[in-house]
Amino acid sequence: MQERNIYKPIKAELIKVIEESPTIKTFVLVPEVEFSFKTGQFIEVTVENVGEAPFTPSSSPLETKQLEITVMKTGYVTEIMHTMQPGQYMGIRGPYGRGYPLEEFYDKEVLILGGGCGFAPIRSLLYNLKAISDKLRKVTFCYGSKTPEECIYKPYIKELRETPKFEVFRSVDKADESWEEKVGVVTVLLDDVKVDIPNSAVVVCGPPIMMKFGTKKLLEMGYPEDKIYLSMEKNMSCGLGKCGHCAMGHYFVCKDGPVFSYNEIKDSPNIWS
Amino acid sequence: MSVYRISEDKWVEYVKELVREYQVYAPIVKTNSTDFEEITPEKIGRINYGGNTASTPLKAFFFPFKENVVVAADKKPRIIIGVPNCDLAALDLLDNIYLGGEFEDLYYKENREQTILFGKDCDSIKDSCHCSAYGLKPYAEKNCDISMSVWDGNFYLVPMSTKGEAFLDKHRINQNETLAALPEKVVQQRAGLVTALQNQNKDIPDEQASRRGIEKENPELWKKHAATCVSCGACSLICPTCHCFLLIDRRDFEKVKNWDACQLPGFSRVAAGEDPLLKLYERLKFRYLCKFVYKPDMFKAIACTGCGRCIDACLGKINKNEVLIEACQGG
Repeated sequence: MQERNIYKPIKAELIKVIEESPTIKTFVLVPEVEFSFKTGQFIEVTVENVGEAPFTPSSSPLETKQLEITVMKTGYVTEIMHTMQPGQYMGIRGPYGRGYPLEEFYDKEVLILGGGCGFAPIRSLLYNLKAISDKLRKVTFCYGSKTPEECIYKPYIKELRETPKFEVFRSVDKADESWEEKVGVVTVLLDDVKVDIPNSAVVVCGPPIMMKFGTKKLLEMGYPEDKIYLSMEKNMSCGLGKCGHCAMGHYFVCKDGPVFSYNEIKDSPNIWS
Repeated sequence: MSVYRISEDKWVEYVKELVREYQVYAPIVKTNSTDFEEITPEKIGRINYGGNTASTPLKAFFFPFKENVVVAADKKPRIIIGVPNCDLAALDLLDNIYLGGEFEDLYYKENREQTILFGKDCDSIKDSCHCSAYGLKPYAEKNCDISMSVWDGNFYLVPMSTKGEAFLDKHRINQNETLAALPEKVVQQRAGLVTALQNQNKDIPDEQASRRGIEKENPELWKKHAATCVSCGACSLICPTCHCFLLIDRRDFEKVKNWDACQLPGFSRVAAGEDPLLKLYERLKFRYLCKFVYKPDMFKAIACTGCGRCIDACLGKINKNEVLIEACQGG
């Protein structure tokens, strides 16, 4: 076939595995051909003879020679992934879907609410926001995880805290003696942040329960529905709007999302499950 | 309109010629069903040119139950004879999904392009046939290359596409027997079947009424009908418009596109365990929402063509039309 086969993955060499937490690893991949994506878009990653799963790259969209995915060990494909070593190959297809609407953030404050492995897509966004920080007023990142041990990207957090216009607040559900930041679910961080709501937009990414209560709190704070951007997670197979798995009301999350504003999807059924 | 008339004995010779060059499929009557089979010269006499739907929906030719979508198989040009209009109408949606938008499915595209479709006139209706409820006719209206009607030992072929015209130009039928229009008897036969369908289906709500009924908050209705559902997925798999699939991974990064169905457990479950269609009655309702609300809105195409296969196939005896009639009751 002469035309592009949408189902055929590009081979990508795994060159490095970074252990982020006991259940989360980052895989650094070098695709056989240069590969670009927009922040918030996702890729389908194949483990040969095992399966395929969608991930939003956690690396900078400005980097085209290699990309990173950060993966929580949570199902069949990811369990096998966690056993993979540098030198092995994965397959990638994409990029797919609609990413974060960066131009909507110009001249605004950006509040980001992230939980658990939801930091992965957010890190890609933060890299991109740093690159366009002259166009932004401020970026406030609130991140929650279950325990200090499960807080990922610790070196990057340090770097972010030293970046002008960026501030980071963290919480854990359950602290230990080492923890010096907030304790509680991630939404407690919203009580402390100072944001100019009429001149800001907010991004939410994390487990469904966190997205649900995070969105509720943001609405209570006065954020307009069309300024809350959610990165939705659904079962996906093709990633192209053909296989039907990610149907959510009138949308295919893969094709029409995965990033939606809350007002676009608030009437769709089962958005939080 | 040009209509080519060919007598039955000449038609048999014609098909024998076609079989040399093409893979020819047509409905064959079996003990308890009628289904498409590849035609050899010996089988030509067993082709059922009338009847109604075959067991297998047309989609299976373009979107096979299982297809390697990384390593392409060699494909011979095909002819499919005897396709009912309920299957042809389903192509509006399937073409839109597989060929529309940013990404084209090359496998579906090639399967479509390599096939000449002969639409047929149904000459009988089964209890579950209800294409008329959605404004469709029991004869080829569009989405085929040639329409074929049978009357009194003669076959009447009408080109329905430029591909069909080119085909009839290449494989010439006795050109002396060209008519300006279908014989009155064929027209009457068609009209008679339309009337019979309308009488059979007069109580079935149309698309708009069905939509309003399904959108009502009525969990009890769905729980009641889901009570006999065994989640076998037959209704979806057998449906001419259901397009869902799962990519199965193989060695060397090969992928096999396998039919999948929203009625099967786990269809929408994510790795962490959340499943928006966990409850059986919600899965059942989702199927109706998909057919009458989501797909018409998303693709401007009908997602139920009234073929009735889901009614015939249901192990739990769920009759889709009875569900819709009930959904529409009470204003």
